[in-house]
Formats: sequence, structure tokens, C-alpha cells
Amino acid sequence: MTAMTWRRALRPLTMAAALTLSTALSAQAQVELEFWDQIWGPESYAPTAQALVDAFNASQSEIHVTYRSMPWSNWYETYVTAIASGSAPDISTGGGFQAVQFYDMGAVMPVDELMAQMEADGALADYAPATLEALKFDGHYVALPWNIDIRVMHYRKDLLEAAGIAVPTTWDEFRAAAQTLSAGGSPAIAIGGGADPNGVHWLLWLMINNNAGLFNADGTAGLTSEGSLQALNFLGDLVADGSVDPASAGLVNDDVRGKFFAGETAFYLGGPNGAAGSGDQAVNIGVVPPLVSASGTAATIAWINNIMIYADTEHPAEAMTFLRWWSENQAPLWVEGGVSGIPARLSFQAMPDLTGNANVAQVMEQWVPAARPMSAVAGGTFPQLNEIDGDGFLMAVAQRILQGEAPADAVQPAQDHLAEIMAD
Amino acid sequence: MASLSTDATTTRRRAAGSYLTPDVRMTAFLLAPSLILVAVVVLWPMLQGLWFSMTDGSLLKPGEFVGLQNYLDLFTEWAFWRSVRFSLIFAVCNVAGCYLIGLWLALLLTRDFPLRGVMRVVMLLPWIVPSLVAIVSWRWLMNDDQALFNQVITAFGGDPVYFLAESNWAVAMVIVIKIWRSVPFMLLSLLAALQTIDRSLYEAAEIDGASRWQAFWHVTMPAISGMSVILCLLMTIWSVNDYDTPWLLAQGGPANATENLVVLAYRYTFARNDVGMGAAVSFTTLAFLLALFVVILRVQRKSRT
Repeated sequence: MTAMTWRRALRPLTMAAALTLSTALSAQAQVELEFWDQIWGPESYAPTAQALVDAFNASQSEIHVTYRSMPWSNWYETYVTAIASGSAPDISTGGGFQAVQFYDMGAVMPVDELMAQMEADGALADYAPATLEALKFDGHYVALPWNIDIRVMHYRKDLLEAAGIAVPTTWDEFRAAAQTLSAGGSPAIAIGGGADPNGVHWLLWLMINNNAGLFNADGTAGLTSEGSLQALNFLGDLVADGSVDPASAGLVNDDVRGKFFAGETAFYLGGPNGAAGSGDQAVNIGVVPPLVSASGTAATIAWINNIMIYADTEHPAEAMTFLRWWSENQAPLWVEGGVSGIPARLSFQAMPDLTGNANVAQVMEQWVPAARPMSAVAGGTFPQLNEIDGDGFLMAVAQRILQGEAPADAVQPAQDHLAEIMAD
Repeated sequence: MASLSTDATTTRRRAAGSYLTPDVRMTAFLLAPSLILVAVVVLWPMLQGLWFSMTDGSLLKPGEFVGLQNYLDLFTEWAFWRSVRFSLIFAVCNVAGCYLIGLWLALLLTRDFPLRGVMRVVMLLPWIVPSLVAIVSWRWLMNDDQALFNQVITAFGGDPVYFLAESNWAVAMVIVIKIWRSVPFMLLSLLAALQTIDRSLYEAAEIDGASRWQAFWHVTMPAISGMSVILCLLMTIWSVNDYDTPWLLAQGGPANATENLVVLAYRYTFARNDVGMGAAVSFTTLAFLLALFVVILRVQRKSRT
């Protein structure tokens, strides 16, 4: 082999080595961020979110984000274990009170700097004010809101029309409608009171609807307040009327939705797009306006899902950059990803894909303004809310009422437990 | 005197040295990796758990030492005694149920009949199926009045039974499912024990005019009693420590009716973020199981002597 032939033979190898070296150097220059995202929608959600992250990675060369889709099963343990072992992500989405509790534990960092920046350039004005307020704790913004998870009452248009019943607007009308529809022996309401939070959502919806809730105005446990008991008694009345499926204390949300989609029940308390997944039955599903309660108020429960940055991140500035980009470009999560909540950004709420859906539009118009946090009527946010949300004691209250126990008796142990939690 | 003292030291050294024979050294050398592994994987976490049970920390913040306060608090908690009660009912019913059914099936399978091999495989299915799949399938069989069980009940003119919505029924169903999942292990172990019994003992009993029941009671039962005690002990431990069945079926509900000690420990640790109380529940359960283990083994040893 001549010297020239050797050089020619080695040329591809030299080029490959140079390419590898340059790629390695460029990768070294890039900041690596780990983003954990819960599954917030149907099967289309995770691929849509992954595509968004890919778009961010392609849009610049300084930051590379790795997307991890996190299942909901054991989510809390997953995060807590990761934090305790020092392997937490740089940034993650999370449920209603996750950020507040993790902040209180010193696991997430405040995003005040980003908020100040967004306030200065006007971007903060695009957020529904209540969503921002929900994430303020101890004088700091602990996360950025992105999605409003709200509970809304849906009804079967076909069943109400067939029975000649108008869409209820008050508790009394709702009870009368349920009684009439259940007269044939098939209960008009099914509640996922088993191994599922749907039963707890009913309690929260009714209590908050009646201008009461888990807490009194002074922040003390309020499950046995007059308003709360009135709401729980209303649920007890529905059970006693025979309007609630007797299997409810053992059902889960999927069972309840299945019965509603099949036309076996007439009412369903669920997310803002309760008709999603109902196929050709979607035309038969409508949204009840916020019911006027016994106390004359009409409100509902909502949780503000959020995005937080972890205190252990080595790249807080880059994490903030990605957080802002994500919050400004995440519209496809609703359009293609099928997120069932309502966007925290007002400009996203105005998207034709959302306003074009009559039920979702009605929710945004009538229910979102009536939304109250789980801390109602005390208001604000505090770390105990995550414990209250995760603890099973409210589930037991719902189950006992659904089993026919007197609400005042069913709620007393929960009231004592809630008082204990708040005293800690 | 000096020479006497030196002799004694040398004798002690020789005595000590005599234990360290090449065989002992080799045994220690071979056992060392396993012992280190057990110490790291079992002993250390256990000691750490014991320490946690005496602190008031959360999952992310190490707490301060509170002595036995968590245990004292636990014993005054109504939820703890409710869980103890359910755990006992669950364990006793499961051990009795799966032992009796397992023994009956094992006796059946020792006989020759067509498709015996197929039957053996079929009997193992509940053990092979992953618990999640099995329990979710059971849920579908009984969750409301449209489910298969209620279809059968109403077809015979009965009223629907809300198995998962009524506390007593939920307790019964958790036990039934646990028995269903436990029988294959019991069956396999007892079948193996039955096959080791010398056939000549049965022939001798027959010559002596023993009935089938007498042969079972005086030949079979004594022969499998040792294995039976061990199996019942293991099954008690697995029942008390069972998380899958009560959690996957109803998350300890309805109204906490199926909340056992393990589910309670999980709730304290992860839902209430109270690691100290969660660890206290776990160690109380461990102490109860150890006490049971010691008592049963002593009774067994006494009955042998």
C-alpha cells in the first residue's frame, strides 16, 4: 500500500473521529434537564408532550431536555423517593398541592424570579388571576399554573327529555329530577365512592357549592359546620331517596362513567369534558349550570395543576427558561394531547378547539368563574392540603354516607382527624 | 508462677485456635458474602426502620428522637385496633380456608383419575396470574348489580348483593380472594408431603381394620403435621403482610372495613407523610408475628418430645 492509499483509507476514520469529538464537545456544552410529566390526558397526551419537548430542543442549542412520562400510579411515592435519594428531576408537572407541600419540605424552589420577569413583560396578565393566587405560599410563588381541574355536573339530554324534565338549576330541582328518573328502579346517579376519589369530589363539590367546605373561615376544621352538614345531608337525602346506585360505595370512576355513557344513569360529576370518550353518545351529554345550593350560592371545587422546579437542580436559570417556553407553547397539549382540564392561560382558553366544544365552552363561561379551591372557605393554600387530598379519611366519609349512615355520624371521625392534621 | 501463667495463656490460645480449623475458616469465608448481603439488604434497613419508628420525621425531613411515643400514640388510635381486628380475621380465615381446601384438593389429586395432570395445572392458575390482573378481574365479577355474580343471583330470584359497597360483604370477598390465591401453594406443598408417606403404613392400617377416616387421622395427619405447621405459619405471615388483596380490591374500604396493618402502615407513611407512625405499625406487626412464630414452634417442639 502506498502512502497515498493509506491516507485515503484513513480519511473516513479521521472524519468520523472528528465528528464524534465535535458532537461530544457540543453535548458537553449543552445543559441537560430532566422533565417529568404526569399523564394528563388520553393515549395521545404523552406523544404530544414528547413532540413539544423535541421542538424545544430543536429551537435552541444551549439546553437539552429529556422528557419522561410518569404514570399516576404511586406518583407521590415516586417523587418523594426520588427527592430523598437525590435523583429528583429538574422540573416536573404536578397535582394541586404537590408544589406547596414539596416547597414546605424544601424540595422545590420558588419561581418568583420568573413571575417578576413575566409581570414586567405583561405575560402574567394572560393567566386567570385565581390560578396564580392558588400557588402563592408563604409570600412566594412555588410553581407556575397550567391547568384547571374542575368538577362539573353532566347530564343525559336524552333521559331528561324523555322524562319531560327541565335541566335542574337548584338543589331542590336536582333532587326532584333524580327522584323522578329513579322511579323506575334504576338510580339516576352513580358515584365512584370505592377505591376512587370521585366520592370525595362529590363531598367537596356539595360543601363548596353550599358556601362551606373542609374549613371554616378562620382555617379550622369545618366538616361539621352548619353549611357542610347541610351539604352532606343533601347527599344523604339523595341516597335515602334511592336516587344513588346502592353499589356506589364500591364503584370507581370508570364504572360510573361507563354507566353514564351507556345511559344507565342520568347525572355524572366529572372533569370539564365529561363527554370525552363517550363516542356517539357525546350528543346526548350536556352540562348542568352550577346548581344554586340551599344557602343560595353556586360554586364548585377546582384544583390548579402546576409546573415546579426542584431545589436540587444544578441549572435553575435554564430550568426557568424551559418552564417559560413550555408555558407559552403548550397549546397542543389540549388540541392534540386531549388534556381534559381548562388552560390556566386566558389566550389558550380562547382557542377555537376549546370554544368550539359546547360543553367545554359552557364550563369556561359558567363553572370556571364559580370555581373555589379545596381550602374554601378559608382560602389560600397550605401544605396540609396535600396530606388531606392523599389521606383516605374523606373517602371513608363518602363511603359511609353512601352506605346509608347518618351524615352527622359519618363525618365526626373525619372532623376530628382533620382538626389533628391542622393542629400539626 | 511465671511459667504457669505462660502455660495457661498458651493453652487458651490453643483452645481458641482449635475452633479455627481450616473447615471453619472455609465455612466463614464462603458464608461471608451472603452474611454481608443480608446485613446490607435486610439488617441495615430493618435497624433504620426501627430508628424511624422512634422519630417524628417525614419522608423528606429526618425527625427528632421521640422514644416510644409513636408506639404509645398508636396503641391509643382506634384505627390501629380496627386494623388489628381485620388482620386477625383475615389471617385466621385465610389460613383455615386455604389449608382445608388445599388439603382436600391434595388428597383428591393423589388419586388416579382422568385428566389429573390437567387438573394440577388448572389448580395452579390462581398462583400464576399476576395479583393485579386477578384482583381487577374479581372486581369486575362483583362490582355492581350488572356483574356476573349478581346476574347469577338474580337469575335464581335473589336480590343483588353489593359485595364491594357493604362492609361485611367486602371483608368476606377479600378473604375469599385471598383463599383463592393461597390454595395453590398449600395444595402443592401438601401434595408433596402426601407423596412422601410410606404406602405400607396404609396397608398395615387396612390389615388392622382401620376405616378410611381412621387411616387419614392416624396415618396421614401425623405424617404431614410438621409440614402443616410450617405452611400455616408461612400463610399467617403472608396474610398479615398482604397488601395487594385489600388495596387493589377496595383500598382498604369501604369505610376502612378491609384496612389491615400493612395498608395502615402505607397510609401513615405515604398519605399522611408520618414515617414514624408508619414504621411503628410495621414493627408492631413484626413483633406480633415473631411472637406467634416462637410460640408455635415451641408448642410443636414440646408435642414432639
